[in-house]
Amino acid sequence: MSFALRKKAAETDLDRVAARYPDVPRLIILKTDVQRRGVFYTDGALELLDDALHQTTGTHIFGARDGKTAVRPESLLLRDGTSIITTPTPLEDAPYIVDVLDGEPWLFDNGVPVEPVDYWPAPAYYAKNSRSGVPMKHIVSARPQRLNIFPYRYCTFWNNDKGCAFCDMVVQLKKGRDILKIPAKLDPLEVGEVIGEALKEQGRFSTIFLTSGSITSGVRPFDDEVDYFIALLKEVGKNFRTKKYPSQMIGTAFEKEQLQRLYAETGLTSYTSDIEVLDENLFNRYCPGKTEWIGYKEWKRRLVDAVEIFGYGRVNTGLVAGIELAGPHGCDSEDIALERTLSEAEDLARQGVSTVFIVWSPRPGTPLGIYKNASLDYYIRLARGLHQLRVKYRLPIDHDSYRNCGNHPDTDLSRVLPLWENEI
Amino acid sequence: MGERDMKGEFQYQIGKLLAAQGTIATIATLDENGAPHCVPTPFLQLDERGRIVHLELLETSSTHRNLLGSIWFERPVSVTLCGRDGEVLVISGRAYKALVSGPLFCSFYREVRSRMGDADLAAVWLIEPLKIRDETYQVRKVIEEASHPFYSHLDRLVIKEDSI
Repeated sequence: MSFALRKKAAETDLDRVAARYPDVPRLIILKTDVQRRGVFYTDGALELLDDALHQTTGTHIFGARDGKTAVRPESLLLRDGTSIITTPTPLEDAPYIVDVLDGEPWLFDNGVPVEPVDYWPAPAYYAKNSRSGVPMKHIVSARPQRLNIFPYRYCTFWNNDKGCAFCDMVVQLKKGRDILKIPAKLDPLEVGEVIGEALKEQGRFSTIFLTSGSITSGVRPFDDEVDYFIALLKEVGKNFRTKKYPSQMIGTAFEKEQLQRLYAETGLTSYTSDIEVLDENLFNRYCPGKTEWIGYKEWKRRLVDAVEIFGYGRVNTGLVAGIELAGPHGCDSEDIALERTLSEAEDLARQGVSTVFIVWSPRPGTPLGIYKNASLDYYIRLARGLHQLRVKYRLPIDHDSYRNCGNHPDTDLSRVLPLWENEI
Repeated sequence: MGERDMKGEFQYQIGKLLAAQGTIATIATLDENGAPHCVPTPFLQLDERGRIVHLELLETSSTHRNLLGSIWFERPVSVTLCGRDGEVLVISGRAYKALVSGPLFCSFYREVRSRMGDADLAAVWLIEPLKIRDETYQVRKVIEEASHPFYSHLDRLVIKEDSI
């Protein structure tokens, strides 16, 4: 099946939005729209996929919008080095099409070629198995410059049905176990060894990332999660000659003493704890487990505490942007949602905590999965607003940048954040 | 000369100068205010498609940020090659692509480190040449005098006493 038409058709939505925001790069608007609408790979595009050269879908920690677990490109790279982390989406939802033009993969919209893309390159260690016989790519996955550790694929908020309303992690856990034979919980020793193997490829990776589902157990709540992260980070750290190494962890909002342990006992250099939505009522509704164990105001307070430990510009929180507008409980207008979100983000920014967002991808089987995400205009305004807060409060975001993550349109804009250095 | 021939000629001229010993290359970019920024580019080379390859070592360098501005907002980029014998080529173009990962990136990363020791590589920039201009003084002088004779100082045309 081919969708490629070579003739230039009428102006696209992308063209119209790009014209309204001349200060925002068209490539970032395109990335955002592709994340918003998803992609569909044609047979031709899939024929270009070569798992010796390209990363194919690996750990499936979150599901695809089409509900399939199949071999497809993990994600895409644009000409400016921007990653597009997106999921295969059914054709009836009007995704961008990835098809072939002159032998190369391109993004198409309504048959019009929009931009060439590259499939993410496969790292060398992807061809190898770990000591327990599991493909290494199922223990540590990769982005263009990042090593991903998803050590624990369960979230204990689900024990009493209080998982987040947009999240399908636990559904994916079962698929991962049954279809891909991925262990639910990784052995830190094995993780450290796979990281060591990955680092043999010179010039490939610039950061270590880990995240897992929340683990509420322990002497104090979440102590077991902290202990597990420390064990993992220590094994990873054995590969480096420096105590600290470029790294990011997305964890639950830990207490200050837990954060101090994480910083003091490991090589971790930044800390992220996702509040998901910057509205207390919606947080309570859509993140009932986080509400039950920590609460919205306490979550924010713990983020601010983390700045004292990890440093200014090394702590941030993430939003699943668009859920604030979804369904009957969402904001009535994008203007109001934007104003509320940016106001709360500014409250965090003035205390040294940055906010980033991912474009919400409604996933089948989740309570919010039946709704649509927000307009492209909304996401562009949000990206601009969050970037401008970083400018205003002089907040670097290197640890969650296009290189170290690649999933946030707002931090793509922050590639040109002022440097705040003394001029020579 | 047709477009295809012109492109081939560009590649030939650029390649010849880059291959010559002692050639100095610089890259000039524009910042968001239009201010030019010009620095040496010691690893400059051509790829097989005739694009200029510039290796940017630092993520937050002015050149890297300006090249991003070029790809985002179509700001022009200029590369100047100065040969040991006074030849000067100025190539105007636009940043087409930044490679940040993959086999080609890793290969350049190793090249940089083999030449510089403990160095890093932020991106491999591919610059598409759009125009080339021979700025060699002797070449420009001939063209100038033939095309714009009104701009010469008259004393240069005066009969010299020793030639009478």
